[in-house]
Amino acid sequence: MTRLSVVLLLALIGSSMYLVRVSYDARRLFNELDRAQSEARRLEVEHERLKSEKQSQATPLRVERVARDKLAMRAATPAVTQYVAYAPAPAASKEAP
Amino acid sequence: MKFFGKRSAGNGNASRQAPPTVRSVMYSTSPLLASKTPPWRSKFLVGLVGLGFLVLVGRAGYVQIIGNDFFLKQGEIRYARTLDLAASRGRIIDRNGQLLAVSVPAPSLWAIPKEFQADRSQRQKLARLLGMSVAELAGRLDDSPNYVWLRRQVDEQVARDAMALDIKGLFQTREFRRDYPYREAAAHVVGFTSTEERGQEGIELAFQKELEGHKGTRRVVKNRLGGVVEEFGEGVPPIDGRDIELSIDATYQSLAYQRIRDAVAEHKAKAGSVVMLDAQTGQVLALANYPSYVPGDRRNLTGGQLRNRALTDVFEPGSTMKPFVVSLALETGRVNRNTVIQTAPGRMTIQGATISDSHPHGALTVAEVIQKSSNIGTVKMAMQMQPREMWEIFSQAGFGQRPQINFPGAVTGRLRPYKSWRPIEQATMSYGYGLSTSLFQLARAYTVFAHDGEILPVSLVKKGPGESVAGVRVFSKQTAQTMREMLQMAAGPGGTAPKAQVMGYSVGGKSGTAHKQEGKGYADKKYRSWFVGMAPIDHPRVVVAVMVDEPGDGKYFGGDVAGPVFSDLVQKTLRSMGVAPDLDVRPQIVAQNIPAVEESF
Repeated sequence: MTRLSVVLLLALIGSSMYLVRVSYDARRLFNELDRAQSEARRLEVEHERLKSEKQSQATPLRVERVARDKLAMRAATPAVTQYVAYAPAPAASKEAP
Repeated sequence: MKFFGKRSAGNGNASRQAPPTVRSVMYSTSPLLASKTPPWRSKFLVGLVGLGFLVLVGRAGYVQIIGNDFFLKQGEIRYARTLDLAASRGRIIDRNGQLLAVSVPAPSLWAIPKEFQADRSQRQKLARLLGMSVAELAGRLDDSPNYVWLRRQVDEQVARDAMALDIKGLFQTREFRRDYPYREAAAHVVGFTSTEERGQEGIELAFQKELEGHKGTRRVVKNRLGGVVEEFGEGVPPIDGRDIELSIDATYQSLAYQRIRDAVAEHKAKAGSVVMLDAQTGQVLALANYPSYVPGDRRNLTGGQLRNRALTDVFEPGSTMKPFVVSLALETGRVNRNTVIQTAPGRMTIQGATISDSHPHGALTVAEVIQKSSNIGTVKMAMQMQPREMWEIFSQAGFGQRPQINFPGAVTGRLRPYKSWRPIEQATMSYGYGLSTSLFQLARAYTVFAHDGEILPVSLVKKGPGESVAGVRVFSKQTAQTMREMLQMAAGPGGTAPKAQVMGYSVGGKSGTAHKQEGKGYADKKYRSWFVGMAPIDHPRVVVAVMVDEPGDGKYFGGDVAGPVFSDLVQKTLRSMGVAPDLDVRPQIVAQNIPAVEESF
């Protein structure tokens, strides 16, 4: 009878320790999961922001502004025809680095 | 020590009788122990202990049973936290899924000035990041000792850099801001929100309920480090706002904005608007106004920039009304397209008021009345009709009716009841004076001709491919087709708007020009020019209305000012819709085998 009690006591202690460990693990894992989830949300929002930014870099208005301001381009009409004359310029090519 | 000494002195007598040894001390005979303990004392003690237990049991009972709720709640307060779960506002996207408005994180920086500690270089760096001077920053911090916003809704990178300066007393709060990739091009359609993300204008306002998200909450247990270790209870999941899919096509919208902007600049005009409708479904493909504004930066805005002119500004539709009167005459069999109407000498008098054409035309067929936009010809047809007939057609075409569109600020326009029409008013109304309409209503009215006699319901929200649109019949299919042919003549050689022609596509439309109303009369030198048309003419895909307000460079006819905008827009739009050209494109210079005129020498 006594022996049985001792065995049961040991089993109880073992199981209690195990319970402590398991609940600790559960909390730790839950914490990790929660952090991963909020990271996922953050990344999702970031993704949305980047998508919007990417799009605003490619709108026709922006393309037009860059073409006009940075690249100095103009809309071509038959009125702005430039005739390019072929003239060899050996002097110029020597000066060029 | 003293106590011991006394005791030994007191024992002096006994030690004299018996030699004092340790063994000889008789405890049982100690006089101190001689007195008997009264039995009530132990009972009293037992009673006290028992009472103590009773109190404990009572307390336990109180805590566990009677006051249980209170204590449970108190306990929970000490370990449980309620976290708010932010719900994001829905996006606004165009018909192809391009983003027109989207919420992006934008932290706000705030400070507690009495805790604020930063040295010179930190202050300088912070001021530069926030885009203000050091003095301005100091002024901000002086506002209140407890709490000041330094700058709300900055870019994430700015906030990160500012927090990296590691200044005491500087904090950030997570907030969201609306981002509008198409900026001023789509500003009037999309609208904008307040700092708290509530819709203030445009679609943002009209669909506030749908776009708005609902915050959720969750109950959690947090550990000492602030990490969540457990979740309990039933949280409320956050509900994100619904995405709104517009019928607008961002590409056409940008194109329309660019064209009207360029036209306004070219003609030194005050303002301009464009409305483009899908002629098959009545959906709005583009709705642009100039001047516009950048929705993300609303400092120094004027009412003129904010106004959605296409929907809120009314004007007298002028010549663009003629097709409705002529169609009615065709429909009722009063005329056919070849009936000749004498418009010479270019003026006529009704009740003492004179109506005139800009040029006398002589005898014109009905088709030519539309082509040349003859007031006299139209009036002669209109005077054969009852006012009620005309009124019915006008209101069926949507004039004087509020457009059934979920958008703030759409105006009704003005169409007086037919009972109060005098004959001269009936005459002027037939060529578009004495009633008013917005450009949007006008564009919609022209879906009557574009959609084989049926007026289409308009919508800014994209419809599914399966959803059919039910138009309301105004004219017969035959009449609408005949009128389209006449409109094609008006937008062709010999018409009023040859500049509206499009390379490769047949178009039809009607130009309009009017003196602007000022006070009670008409301003002498201020005009409004517009053009409404459709293409391709056999099976129209788009209806486009263009209006330019106060062109100031001498050209003011609708065909000259608004026509080219129409032409350019229609060409690009139809091509990108994949509509096959229905006209042969003729190169402008043709080397033909024509005998040359002989040179004199």
